[in-house]
Amino acid sequence: MTDQHTHRTIGEALDASGVSRRSFLKFCMVTASMLALPPSVGRVMAQQLRKAKRPSVIYLSFQECTGCLESFTRSFSPTAENLLFNVISLDYDDTLMAAAGSHAEAAREKAMKDNWGEYLVIIDGSVPMADGGVYNTAAGKTAHQTLMEVVEGAAAVVCVGTCASFGGIPYAHPNPTGAVPISELVTDKPVVNVPGCPPIPEVITSTLVHYVSLGKVPDLDEHGRPLAFFGNTIHDRCYRRPFFDQGKFAKSFDDEGARNGWCLYELGCKGPTTYNACATVKWNDGTSFPIESGHGCLGCSEPGFWDKGSFYKPLAAGTYTSAEKIAAAAGAGVLLGAGAAVASRMKRKSRLHETDREERS
Amino acid sequence: MNREHANPGSATKREVNVDGAMRSFAKSFGALNAFRVESCIHCGICADSCHFYHATEDPKYTPILKVEPLKQAYKREAGPLAPFFRWFGLKRRVTAEELEEWQELLYDSCTLCGRCSLICPMGIDVAALIEEGRRAMFEAGLAPKELYDRAEHEQRTGTPGPSEPGYREKLEAIGREHNVPIPLNHDSVNVMLCVFSLDLDRYPKQVAALAQVMHHLGESCTFRTESLLVDNDAYYAGSREWQRSISRRLIDQAVACGAKVVIVPECGHAYTALRWEAAELYGKKLPFRVLHIAEYLAEKLAEGKLKLNKTNGGSTTFHDPCQVVRKGGVMEAPRKLMDAMGVDLREMTSHEGFGLCCTGGGGVMLLERARPLHYRAVQEKMREVDATGAERLLTTCTGCRFNFDDAREHFDWDKTPQSLLELVAENLAEE
Amino acid sequence: MTLLDFARGPGMNFALAVFVLGVLWRLVGIALLNYWRPKSEPRQGWLRAMMGGALATGTRSWPHREFIGRTGYGELLGYSYHIGLFIVILFFAPHVAFFKGLFGVSWPAMPSTWIHLIAVLTLTLFIAVLVRRVTNRVLRRLSNFDDYFSWFATALVIVTGLMTTGHIGASYETLQAWHLLSVELLLVWFPFGKLMHAFFIFPSRAINGYLLSRKGAAS
Repeated sequence: MTDQHTHRTIGEALDASGVSRRSFLKFCMVTASMLALPPSVGRVMAQQLRKAKRPSVIYLSFQECTGCLESFTRSFSPTAENLLFNVISLDYDDTLMAAAGSHAEAAREKAMKDNWGEYLVIIDGSVPMADGGVYNTAAGKTAHQTLMEVVEGAAAVVCVGTCASFGGIPYAHPNPTGAVPISELVTDKPVVNVPGCPPIPEVITSTLVHYVSLGKVPDLDEHGRPLAFFGNTIHDRCYRRPFFDQGKFAKSFDDEGARNGWCLYELGCKGPTTYNACATVKWNDGTSFPIESGHGCLGCSEPGFWDKGSFYKPLAAGTYTSAEKIAAAAGAGVLLGAGAAVASRMKRKSRLHETDREERS
Repeated sequence: MNREHANPGSATKREVNVDGAMRSFAKSFGALNAFRVESCIHCGICADSCHFYHATEDPKYTPILKVEPLKQAYKREAGPLAPFFRWFGLKRRVTAEELEEWQELLYDSCTLCGRCSLICPMGIDVAALIEEGRRAMFEAGLAPKELYDRAEHEQRTGTPGPSEPGYREKLEAIGREHNVPIPLNHDSVNVMLCVFSLDLDRYPKQVAALAQVMHHLGESCTFRTESLLVDNDAYYAGSREWQRSISRRLIDQAVACGAKVVIVPECGHAYTALRWEAAELYGKKLPFRVLHIAEYLAEKLAEGKLKLNKTNGGSTTFHDPCQVVRKGGVMEAPRKLMDAMGVDLREMTSHEGFGLCCTGGGGVMLLERARPLHYRAVQEKMREVDATGAERLLTTCTGCRFNFDDAREHFDWDKTPQSLLELVAENLAEE
Repeated sequence: MTLLDFARGPGMNFALAVFVLGVLWRLVGIALLNYWRPKSEPRQGWLRAMMGGALATGTRSWPHREFIGRTGYGELLGYSYHIGLFIVILFFAPHVAFFKGLFGVSWPAMPSTWIHLIAVLTLTLFIAVLVRRVTNRVLRRLSNFDDYFSWFATALVIVTGLMTTGHIGASYETLQAWHLLSVELLLVWFPFGKLMHAFFIFPSRAINGYLLSRKGAAS
């Protein structure tokens, strides 16, 4: 087993693995293309990557389900192994690493000390803040404490998954643990959000490669998400869009419309308001994505997606529900109307009081 | 109740009784008029029905605009959102200046013909609102002098103005001249008769025709000196109170002589005033039927009691008087009579309930200053009459007849209006 | 909370509440005013008069023969955009979904392509109607803030709707938010302006039709 610390540069690591320059260049070009960068950047990427020292990466997991890490390991290009052994030096991940307990913590502290100011921190899961943060503790420290300690010497932070990016599932009403997204706590370092529940594997890995090879975070949208993958909505790229435009909708699962592959808008698809790469990059090396498999988009890469109303109610249906409020308004309207009529009649009477009483016309 | 009326027709700012107008508006506010006022969507379609707008293309003659002061008063005082209108000044307060400005719109340029009420897509009875507008103007002291004077004289004496000889004498003279009996002041009759003042002066043959036909039918009927005239100028002037007292005379006399029917001769506004509005002002259903002479004759025709000869007066067109036909509902009677007489009828493009007004009703012809506008408006009607190619123009309202006669003189027109009643009287078939 | 979340949620709730409150206020405020029962002897019995009134609610939708020459164009323009609006509002699939969310009942939608065409046509007619209002001398004389603002509020809904469905001008969720907000503006304004004619039109025609029919008068 190659010691991941042996080879100082990525180029050396790749040569040792027997990856030809040609196939490495190809990998870089593909990655550049996925990031919507021009081919010239691909070549730069290849040069830089070969020279680059494999950066130290510390992966922290807080209130999460580990789905994001699972997704990460299913990346096809680059593969997780490729990434782990050739591109980065994953110095701490409590799920993947062989060590445990105080040995694992010691490895983390050493990596931090050796690479202070240069290491990349990847985080999945939200941080609970209620009741002193007791709802997620490890090694005797709260998630909040661990986060602030580790991030202090980081060069950049990548939040993987909607929980880390926006709070995700723990953040949903009533949020009993007081979960917050990482960006609320880390304000003095560059933070990249890679949301999704989970994010697409290649989206995670390509973002990391971008950072490692070009030395900076990719262009981000107003939510801190890489524009390359989160710049369009699912709706913009959905192959079922013509059916939406024509008004051909599936009305229930497995009805005629569903079997004909019509648009899933009426079944609650949140594609029009969800930014992600599912419709283009897809899942399982481009096999499919939820809509293609017949289920509407849940909007899982958007802030607060869990609280935005039913997954199965169409976007047009809205999230207002209060029949009681409307009934109260109706009652108020009737009262106001009656009051106005009474006032009007009284005013009329008082005006007529001054004139002939016999006239009852 | 002492009501001080400023010199109408020339009220100054000081004298215009805005309060009186507001009280009059208030009286008219109820669910019905509220619906009407609230329904207006400013579509302007009513202008398309109004002969005054046709003649001038001046938007100020848009019918619904005539009731703007009423709308203002309603929205500020009686509507459900009234406080907003007052607090935010969304509608101006009705002022004396505004009422003075509106005098021309409500009197000079409206014949109360009711055509606007038929075109409104929201179903607003614009003419009814205009009548309310006139009532408010009257209370403000802004009824035009001619109308005011006639109404005042009539409510006081029963006649619209002094007459020498008296009206009764004129009536009796006509009876003598035309050799028809004039039953006067009989009691216990079936039918009470009356005359239109203008007929006594200008169209005595029409009066004679009335008496002649009633005599021919052997109807138990009478005129009553206390309610000889059917005129109701208070309807034009806009005085509720005086309109009621004038109608009251007729009602009381009809009751006094036990009449089951009161016949309105060939007159328009008198029919509206007695048939439809008198009961409202009286407070209950009238104790007798009111029939226009054409209605009465058509009934007799249907009963087989009236037989008519065929006439050969050439091709004829019929002018439907607005108050009798469109607003009054006497739709079929004139045509049944004409049919029975074999009249060669050429209908005008707009006829029956949708016919064009003679443009002289509503008191317009009594206003000297309104004449020029009337002459502009009447030409549309004249063109319609001419377009039928008919030789004879027939109608069943003296007001209309007079307007057409006046037009004939003013424009050197070749049509002379004839009376349907006179035609019937000329063609009574002996059994 | 994003703009869209607000527009779909509390904004819509508020607008619907104000709409219901205002409409009832205005209708009840009129319906409880003084009533007047006609006392004159009718020419037609009340049943025939009521039938006349019912008939008038329909027949007033088109001018009588004598009036068509002068008024046909204006009325046609007005009714055409109304019909266009009704079709788009009631039969566009996302709108059907909206009403289902509101009332629980739904009905078949029209193909969206037809709706797009009709919406564009409706907007064109709607602009023509404004042009007519500012150029026609009668309409210029009559028109006030209510007329222009009601037009504006409705036009905003049509324009934002077309922008949303055409995905032009901004991101989809922003466009949808604007469209919903414009609908909310319309709902809030509705009870206080001339748009209430939607509620007044049938009672007004029916009542006046009845009163004219009982006289046997033209209606």
